[in-house]
Amino acid sequence: MMKVSALKKSYGQGSSRVDVLKGVDLEIREGETLALVGKSGSGKSTLLSLLAGLDSPDSGTIQIGGQNITTLDERALTQFRATHMGIIFQQFHLVSTLTAYENVLLPLELLKKPDARDTALKLLSDVGLKDRAHHLPSQLSGGESQRVAIARALATRPGILFADEPSGNLDEETGEKVMDLLFQMVKETGTTMVLVTHDPDLAKKCARTIHLEHGGLL
Amino acid sequence: MILDFFLRKELRKFPFFFLLLFVTLFLGTLGLTGISLVSNQVRDRLRDNANELLTSDIAVSARREFTPSELAGLAEVFSGMAHRRYKVVDIYSMVTTLGDDKARLVEIRGTEETYPYYGGLTLRAGTRKPAPFYISKDLADLWEVRVGDRLRVGELTFAVDGIVEVDTSLGIRGFSLAPRVYLPLEKLVQSGLLKPGATGSYAHHFRLEGLSSGKLEDLKKEIYAALPDPGIKIVLPEDTSEQTGRVIDLISNYMSLSGLIGLLLSLVGVFYLYQSHLIARLKDLCLLNLHGLPKSRIVLGVVTQFSLVFLLVLVLEVLLVVPGYRYFAPSLSKTLGLELSSDVRFSSFLLDYPYLYVLSLSVLIPLLLGLMRTSMGLQLKASKLSMGRFRYFDFFPFALLLWLFSCYLANSFKTGNIFFASLALIFLLSTLLVLGAQWVLSKLLRSKGLLLPTVEYGIALRGLTRSGHKLTLSFLSLALSATLISLILQLDTKILGEFVLDHRKPALFIFDIQEEQIEELLSFTKGQGQELEGVTPMIRGRLEKVNGEKFGGRKRDFDFRSREEDEDATARNSGLNLTYRGSLSPAEKIVDGEPFPEAPGDPERLPGISLEKRWAQRMDLSIGDKLTFDIQGVEFEGQVRNIREVKWTSFYPNFFVSIEPGFIEAAPKTYLAVLPAGARGEKLRFQKSVVEKFPNISFIDVEELITKLSDLFTKSQKAIGVISWMSLLVGLVILYGLSHDQVYRRYYDLALMKSLGFSEGKLRANLLYEFGTLFLSALCLGFFLGWLLAQVIGKEVFKLPFGVDWSRILLPGMGLIILCLATILLSSWRAVRAKPKELLSDT
Repeated sequence: MMKVSALKKSYGQGSSRVDVLKGVDLEIREGETLALVGKSGSGKSTLLSLLAGLDSPDSGTIQIGGQNITTLDERALTQFRATHMGIIFQQFHLVSTLTAYENVLLPLELLKKPDARDTALKLLSDVGLKDRAHHLPSQLSGGESQRVAIARALATRPGILFADEPSGNLDEETGEKVMDLLFQMVKETGTTMVLVTHDPDLAKKCARTIHLEHGGLL
Repeated sequence: MILDFFLRKELRKFPFFFLLLFVTLFLGTLGLTGISLVSNQVRDRLRDNANELLTSDIAVSARREFTPSELAGLAEVFSGMAHRRYKVVDIYSMVTTLGDDKARLVEIRGTEETYPYYGGLTLRAGTRKPAPFYISKDLADLWEVRVGDRLRVGELTFAVDGIVEVDTSLGIRGFSLAPRVYLPLEKLVQSGLLKPGATGSYAHHFRLEGLSSGKLEDLKKEIYAALPDPGIKIVLPEDTSEQTGRVIDLISNYMSLSGLIGLLLSLVGVFYLYQSHLIARLKDLCLLNLHGLPKSRIVLGVVTQFSLVFLLVLVLEVLLVVPGYRYFAPSLSKTLGLELSSDVRFSSFLLDYPYLYVLSLSVLIPLLLGLMRTSMGLQLKASKLSMGRFRYFDFFPFALLLWLFSCYLANSFKTGNIFFASLALIFLLSTLLVLGAQWVLSKLLRSKGLLLPTVEYGIALRGLTRSGHKLTLSFLSLALSATLISLILQLDTKILGEFVLDHRKPALFIFDIQEEQIEELLSFTKGQGQELEGVTPMIRGRLEKVNGEKFGGRKRDFDFRSREEDEDATARNSGLNLTYRGSLSPAEKIVDGEPFPEAPGDPERLPGISLEKRWAQRMDLSIGDKLTFDIQGVEFEGQVRNIREVKWTSFYPNFFVSIEPGFIEAAPKTYLAVLPAGARGEKLRFQKSVVEKFPNISFIDVEELITKLSDLFTKSQKAIGVISWMSLLVGLVILYGLSHDQVYRRYYDLALMKSLGFSEGKLRANLLYEFGTLFLSALCLGFFLGWLLAQVIGKEVFKLPFGVDWSRILLPGMGLIILCLATILLSSWRAVRAKPKELLSDT
């Protein structure tokens, strides 16, 4: 369960100050899939970065499973993120010097999970990349890279998954296949997912869609 | 618009890059041009000095009178060119005072009226007149001779016309084997000293107008061809300078090499900086291309950008170097003991810049070609931008220019080739090593998890094995920088070692002591409150045979005869002084072979011979060779048992050849000794009292010379220190740039790892593991190779012995590693602490 109250965020100073989020209130149920849509500059990615603890708000609270993450220090927040969250980026962001298998293994070994290697291999197999396990990101296509990123994000079985324009860098056909895989895995694991997208079709796959405009929810 | 993009906008957007580029280029070229400017001035002054030392443009001499046919041959060679000539005869003989009959061995120089063409004599007392009789101040002081006093030379007596204060033909050494007197050549002939059998030096000196040193070398070969006797020696001004200016030569060579190293370091930096900058700017460059700007114009834009920075460097250097040189010229002249002109020749100074510009630009060629090979349209579609890869043969123009520049700067093909070949070998070796290590590591890591033993170390190791050519390049840049820094530090130590005088400074060098005088002289000296040191026998001999074959009869190869061969030929045909002693002097060290045995041992065994290292090399002699000497008519055979290094700057009696005791003691000999430095008044008093009691004993006052040299060495040490630190500064700027760039490249990786749950501590540990391993391996390799290179260059260029100074490897190496890691941590401080929000699409 995630509860967001009066969340505000602005950038810049003085006359150039821009209020990106002007007091957002939001509740997301456990296992729910939520699409955040809106025009460019509406504050979607800023909201996502705050929810995922990648940035800190000016004011307001974000409660995840009863923990207000805005009060956590950097170290605790990093630990919380590693344990409870998974993130998928538009640009995939795989560690370029690690193979597909090692990218998936990374969060598992960071948390010292037992059977980390078997889990990583199974996840790669689940996303259909068992044969590409020892390839470096530079040797993978965009669709393959995003499938690795999905496997990595779900590897630690996080309670909540954040996806930032996950199909934005993929062609339509690949994007659709990869997103089907994402939704299938999210459903199978019962993971809560917050997804930022411009794509109405992708948004429709989510249980709920909310619109952001001028820093507030419509 | 394009210029605006590449110049003004870029400058404003990336001030740090341009600042680093400017500083790197500035330091590299400033060191080189500054050093080149001083070197040129020193070289010019040395050339003038060399003419003064020789007193002419070319001298042809022999230890006997020239035969009529040789004189005709000589006249034939010079018949086609405008010239003037005079003859000089030098002979060692006794000169006595009239009345009290004090006698001394002196060097008598008989000259013709036009002597000298270059330089001259400065008189302390007396007047200049035709056909004069001058004596040196040493002789005048010793005998308290004044102008007008009469001295006997052979069968004639002369009134002293003047006392010579400064004799430019004596040079920096400031002394010859005995005090010198000058008299007209015809008087020397009349004195009867040149009777048949007398050994003197008969030299014909020539002055030739407008002949370059290359033409003089040709002329030298022509004379050798006309006068085939190996006993005839031809000396050019350069040869004189070579013999007397080793210290200055050493400094000059070191300066050139340091300048070159500084420049090379800065070019490594320029390459690395530009590579990072172009990768960072690739997206914008691709966009420009997408909108219609051809790649060739993009490349032109980059070249223009670089040219502007170079121009700024040039302007600042012209503003700094010229006034800087004018300001420092007087103290520099004093330091080097040469009267340097404070007028800077703009032409020679500015002429270096076009070449420097082309050389600097050529280092960018691989990057520019890489840019041309980039598929710019495709890049914009790709998830990650990558520049077209450069190929190793793209470096060919740079390598060619660097080789040419190395030879030009070192003023020698040999030095240039050694330097260039060593660097090429280091480059190749480092590349193979890093690729090999990456291959082995990747094989080892393939089946391993990330916990090695921690995730951050596991990732660091993978970063090292899989970063491809970027890591290879970083490693090479680091290793090359470390090699050059280490080379400077090692050479600096080696050369400074040459400039350390023995703490026991002698005041007087005493020779011609007869065997029967030794005991009496020692007790007399003790009675005077003094003590003689280094009492050593000296026996005159000549090397006749080596391993039973006649030595020195080698036929000349006139076409390929080098200066070194000339010296060898002269040495082979000359006699030499030997000594015998069982133990080494404090200035000697055995570098090869065994010391002489303490007990005589096997009576069948040949006596042992110890040779000075450089002399043995020049004579092609090695351990085990059987040498036969003619010692005043008696044949003596021995076997080379060891090779010694001699520190000649000790100014203590040292010999090229030393014989095991117990074999040649019976040969006629004289003794050498030194009087340690003390109060000046005491020294003069001692000298006079010894002369009164032992009139045959001769002295050379070396105190003044040693003080001068000591002063020169101290100042040279400072100059070398400044040059070394300047090169180091360039190296440090490069290492800082490299370290900073590594963090810049890892910015997104750091943010990503943070988003995946890496704490700040783990991120720093990851950086330290990865770069620590990279820096440690690159710097260790670089320092080792630098040390190796210093041994090769030290031996081949500076003729210095092999040696290791660990303090010059370990301490600076550790310091540099710590500095680089500190830079990594400082540069990454913000990146590690930054929130990873930039990974998201809208930010």
